[in-house]
Amino acid sequence: MTAAIEAEGLTRGFASGLAVDHVTFRLEPGRVLALLGPNGAGKTTTVRLLDGVLTPHAGRSSVLGFDPTADGDEVRRRTGVLTENAGLDDRLTAAENLQYVARVRGFGPEGARRRVQELLERFGMGDRRDDLTSGFSTGQRKRIALARALLHDPELLFLDEPTSGLDPAGTRDVIALIDELAAEGRTVVLATHFLGEAGRLADRMAVLHRGRLRAFGAPDELASELWSGLGAELDLGAPPDEATVAALAAVPGVRRAEAHDEGVRLVLDDRDVLPRAVAVAVGRGCGVYGAATRRPTLEDVYFAIEQRIAAEEGELGTDGFAEARWGAR
Amino acid sequence: MGGTVSGTPPVDRTAVLTIVGRDLRAVRRSKAITLPMLLVPVSLLVLLPVAVGLLARSAPTDSVQRALESSVLERLADPILQFPPRERLVVLVLGYLLSPLLLVLPLMVSAVLAADAFAGEKERRTLEVLLHLPISDRDLFLAKVLSAYVPAVLITWVGAIVYAVVANAVAWPVTGRLFLPFSQFVAVVAWVAPAVALLALGLLVIVSSRARTTQEANQLGGAVILPLVFVAAAQASVLMLLPVLGVVAVGLAVWLAALGLLWWNARYFTRDRLASAG
Repeated sequence: MTAAIEAEGLTRGFASGLAVDHVTFRLEPGRVLALLGPNGAGKTTTVRLLDGVLTPHAGRSSVLGFDPTADGDEVRRRTGVLTENAGLDDRLTAAENLQYVARVRGFGPEGARRRVQELLERFGMGDRRDDLTSGFSTGQRKRIALARALLHDPELLFLDEPTSGLDPAGTRDVIALIDELAAEGRTVVLATHFLGEAGRLADRMAVLHRGRLRAFGAPDELASELWSGLGAELDLGAPPDEATVAALAAVPGVRRAEAHDEGVRLVLDDRDVLPRAVAVAVGRGCGVYGAATRRPTLEDVYFAIEQRIAAEEGELGTDGFAEARWGAR
Repeated sequence: MGGTVSGTPPVDRTAVLTIVGRDLRAVRRSKAITLPMLLVPVSLLVLLPVAVGLLARSAPTDSVQRALESSVLERLADPILQFPPRERLVVLVLGYLLSPLLLVLPLMVSAVLAADAFAGEKERRTLEVLLHLPISDRDLFLAKVLSAYVPAVLITWVGAIVYAVVANAVAWPVTGRLFLPFSQFVAVVAWVAPAVALLALGLLVIVSSRARTTQEANQLGGAVILPLVFVAAAQASVLMLLPVLGVVAVGLAVWLAALGLLWWNARYFTRDRLASAG
């Protein structure tokens, strides 16, 4: 099967240094990829390279089977991009901001008008179609920009910070929309700082750090590389005493026990160990208000990778790395 | 899914015209752009000729006669000397000294619109949207150039018609006939002015595509365009006194310089450069 995106040694520099440094990955069609990393990690440059806006200084890529450098227009015909800034011309109305894009994308005048109306209504902006966008809130601007990215029903979507500036209801709506798009089989690349939304949506994650791809894969796979064993939480309603922590650590199958403000965080061989740990806590007179295994989230994985990178680059001591392994943030 | 597309595609006229239309619509709604584009032509092509023309109409004719005959421009002044003495000053002022100010219009309009079309897109953060559209670098460049060029030429032509009407109306009590347009005036308006607009645009594209804001583009553009304005104002009077073929030859030189500059600009107008200049 042709990959939706294939990058091989993709490299791009600016006067300030390398923005993307030998990035290699392959994304299958229909996947939702969370492109993560701190500011300046190279997320936006990667999107620009993959959409043929920037030319790589080394390496190559293929997007939906086309080379973005040689056939940029073919790539851009099939991709939709939501830029971090909505990019609306405030001298134009909501409809005008979309209509010119629709016309450039090949819609006829009537087709463009219909499609724009359809999308404005889908995004709850139908009654604002003839208003200048200068008076729009951040959320409304984002909705117009999302509608613009979807005008031509793209096979692949690049969404740069799709929920930044949105209120909780707007965020929920956008996440539901992305979910819907992914369910339709579209490939989505989500460049974001919001790990919660990335965790809810993405089935693949890529961590960029100073232009280098430091991790790529399914969050679960990456988690299993980072942590062995199964995480679990005992809610004791209060920090346990040292003796209780030691007793829990001594339970066969418990690899590690660590106290926190509300109870104990455990690493187990498997889930069958959990009832035994609960029994030990109860036996020591602790009130157990909850007990559950806890799979690492995308957020846990991301921060663990970031901390590993920091440790590798000497920004943290080994203690920091050890703490990261336990999911502490 | 996929493949390779080769060869140079034809110009996507729909995409180009759509972007031109979008730019013009936006410009029409911007007072910061339309006001100077209205005030400067009204001052130069209506108020100034009315004021100066009224003064010239009532000035004594013998001093004009002596000045023209003793001038180093004696040969160049021949076209004016063909007019009856009482008409000479008003024709000289309105036909030969003020009418070349028309060439300031394409310079000014090109400068203002080029700043909006290139640096303005960056400032409004709308450039990124254009860069992610399926339009080639060449077509995008063409659209942005046309967005500034077409209004510059149209405003100049409309300005020329308005000027001719105003100048003839002011001079009528003295001349009793239409003295504008004469052939050099037509050649300057129809042939030289569009070339001047393109030349200014060629220079302004270099400045504007490197500037981050419209203000920066206007400031840098002013430094580039002002000398051209002075040259245009100073030399254009002589242009009006040349034979028509001379005007055509000067226009041709400006066209060649403008097209050369534009070709050079087009080679360096790439998405990559625009996105990198951020």
